[in-house]
Amino acid sequence: MSWSEIQPLLFQGFWDTLYMVGWSTLIALVGGLPIGVLLVLTDKGGMLHNALVNKVVGAIVNVGRSLPFIILLIALIPFTRFVVGQSVGSTAAVVPLAIGAIPFFARLVETAIREVDRGLVEAVQAMGGGTPTVVFKALLPQALPSLVAGLTTTVIVLIGYSAMAGTVGGGGLGSVAVQYGYQRFETSVMIATVVALIVIVTVVQIIGDAVVRLLAAGREGAAAGREGSAAGRGAAADGGAGKRLARLGRGRGVALAAAVVLPLALIGYGIGQSGGDKQTLRIAASPTPHAEILEYVEKNLAEKEGIDLDIRKFNDYVVPNTATESGEVDANFFQHKPYLDDFNNKNDTHIVPVVNVELEPLGLYSKKVGSLRGLGSGDTVAVPNDSTNEGRALHLLAKHGLIELKPGAGQEATLGDIADKKGLTFKELEAAAVPRALDDVDAAVVNGNYAVDADLNPAKDALAAEKVEGNPYANFLAVKDGEQDDPRIRKLAKLLNSPQVEEFIEKKYKGAIEPAFGHVGS
Amino acid sequence: MITTTDLTKVYRTPGREVTALDGVDLHVGEGEVFGVVGQSGAGKSSLIRCVNLLERPTSGTVTVDGQELTALAGSGKRAGKELRRARARIGMVFQHFNLLSSRTVLGNVELPLEILGHSGHERTRKAHELLELVGLGEHAKVHPAQLSGGQKQRVGIARALAGDPKVLLSDEATSALDPETTRSVLQLLRDLKEQLGLTVLLITHEMEVVKAVCDSAALMKSGRITESGTVPELLATPGSELARELFPVGGTPSADDRTVVDVTFHGETTTEPVISKLSRTYNVDISILGAAMDTVAGKQVGRMRIELPGSFDDNVVPIGFLREQGLTVDVADVAPVAAEPQDNAGLVKEGAK
Repeated sequence: MSWSEIQPLLFQGFWDTLYMVGWSTLIALVGGLPIGVLLVLTDKGGMLHNALVNKVVGAIVNVGRSLPFIILLIALIPFTRFVVGQSVGSTAAVVPLAIGAIPFFARLVETAIREVDRGLVEAVQAMGGGTPTVVFKALLPQALPSLVAGLTTTVIVLIGYSAMAGTVGGGGLGSVAVQYGYQRFETSVMIATVVALIVIVTVVQIIGDAVVRLLAAGREGAAAGREGSAAGRGAAADGGAGKRLARLGRGRGVALAAAVVLPLALIGYGIGQSGGDKQTLRIAASPTPHAEILEYVEKNLAEKEGIDLDIRKFNDYVVPNTATESGEVDANFFQHKPYLDDFNNKNDTHIVPVVNVELEPLGLYSKKVGSLRGLGSGDTVAVPNDSTNEGRALHLLAKHGLIELKPGAGQEATLGDIADKKGLTFKELEAAAVPRALDDVDAAVVNGNYAVDADLNPAKDALAAEKVEGNPYANFLAVKDGEQDDPRIRKLAKLLNSPQVEEFIEKKYKGAIEPAFGHVGS
Repeated sequence: MITTTDLTKVYRTPGREVTALDGVDLHVGEGEVFGVVGQSGAGKSSLIRCVNLLERPTSGTVTVDGQELTALAGSGKRAGKELRRARARIGMVFQHFNLLSSRTVLGNVELPLEILGHSGHERTRKAHELLELVGLGEHAKVHPAQLSGGQKQRVGIARALAGDPKVLLSDEATSALDPETTRSVLQLLRDLKEQLGLTVLLITHEMEVVKAVCDSAALMKSGRITESGTVPELLATPGSELARELFPVGGTPSADDRTVVDVTFHGETTTEPVISKLSRTYNVDISILGAAMDTVAGKQVGRMRIELPGSFDDNVVPIGFLREQGLTVDVADVAPVAAEPQDNAGLVKEGAK
């Protein structure tokens, strides 16, 4: 990709990252600070010693910290929808990010406050100060530099976490790197985003360190040496000390201004984003080829029909459906019938297909052998690990005589449904990861879109590939039941089955992806 | 002003109990500077923290300025409102100053005034006044880290005085300071006591502190007070360990058949030529083995170790003469070979055989 193509991706990713990290940091600060303080106060020997509260809060924090972030991201979807009214997009990503960061920051707060000399607590108590006085006049001001350092660390961890926000369509630099760099083999994008991330992390660290230094100015012994001699010289004329204090005040002002302006800018950005146009159709799609086909429609055909598309890219197969069900997007385009049936069944959703668009023929690829005959006993074959793709892969293998399935094995066949493996060993991998495994296995069954991304061509490179005719795995435009007759949806359906789109698919994917128009069979 | 009765403090940890205070009865009179001395671990620190209830005693009562603090509500580490108000009227000074590095010197002195709810302008005025009082008027705007140890403790004292206390508690206030600074800080305490009519309870492990500022003193050993009284009383008490610690005199007798006597002079006797009188009256040769002279609470006090020829029985009369002169006389059982304390003397003799 050229720089002019990369630049808007980077810019958008940068803003998404800033938006997600900014908000989640703010929430982590507000949530983590009291929890951290509570952990110290209720601990043994603390001012509000309470073993039960301490243990319970400590346990919650530990659970929060031990959950892998990606699991938290998915597990929190219902909660996220409850809180922000949607489960996809940057704002939705803020919720799991913040909840993941709160326990992390709380522990850092706890550590920072424990470092405060107990003698200070005693001194404030001896003056007649109660617990709030101790917390607000002694513990927090004394721990402030450590707290800022902790917050800096939290921001950086959040930047890392936000890379996973692509799962819920949150965007951000990390997800650009995954989408384009990892899945589409666009090394230049990957390098550009990684460099951008390094720059951001470095800048955050530098700012954090500067604020810490500013706050610690005059407090520490090392600074005291320098400042002390200055005080000695300026002792006669008190103006010296006064000026120094004024300088410190200005520095604090700048830090404070930054702390206020930055979140405000983010809020503004958030409002700007959320104010969407009612006429716009929001469509969730996999990046390749679905989003590319939609982008073609958006650029070349949509305007004439008077519709406006808002294409949202997802790497995940669950969120686009849940988002369609909840109405956060108007339609989605990424799946086939067996997957949708299975999904509706298991999740009690009501998504219906509108019109078939294309088929990504599943193909068997190999870097080790040149034909099907080269495969046999002792060889290893990688297959996708999700229920429908795995079944589809096994049926493809069975059709070509590489294995034998048990009679009655359905579309969701698993390794357990194989009657005769004929000496083959199987490796089950996430669909997106299968093409990457080609160097390590003898052959692999790869989804069409991932094959295209990995520079494989189903028409030329596949040892065996699915046929278009009568294939239930054609991908279609889908909506929530009841929305099929929305005039905008009908227009879009028409456009997706237009001769222009057929030509676009054939030209662009050269047989790797094939047009498969028409009504979706049951 | 401060009275504790049968104060005990037991620290319980799983499988272990440590008795820090074991029935302490203490009485500090109004306007007095009272020093509690003892080695570390003797319970001094627990005692002073029990006085303002930073530590809640296991049993016993604490009364400060007529108010029984132990009767005030508060559970565990949490102090009730009444107790907090009472604490605000008791100043406390700490060994490691315990100043907030996040605040300026002025800010530190203002802190107790904030707790007392004084208005901003009033706080600043009073804090400046207090800083002038401790001689740090021009350092108001610097941070504590830029001050020397002695200056920091002056800030600590100014802060302790912010609530107009009648009582000042000093927890090893000079232990982290060098001797010269210690003297100036003690002088300040003494001056403030006179100026403000403070009652001061201080704990220390340094006899110098007692010598320099205390009117009264108590010795603490394993959670108990073993000796207590005004400094002149203690010096007049034969066998007083505190008196001996206050004025240690060394010196070993020149031969076995000598009687060693420690004589303490105080009050008028310091100006009397008792030793030469003794020598002339009884025609004995007196050797001075060691002597110390000092000023305690503004009065001259001296201690001298002398040697008389012959055994104790031979010297009953001269010793009686010394007692008649109003001196405190202790017959020291010191071995001629080494200047070891009495307990070890026997062992040394054993070894010599």
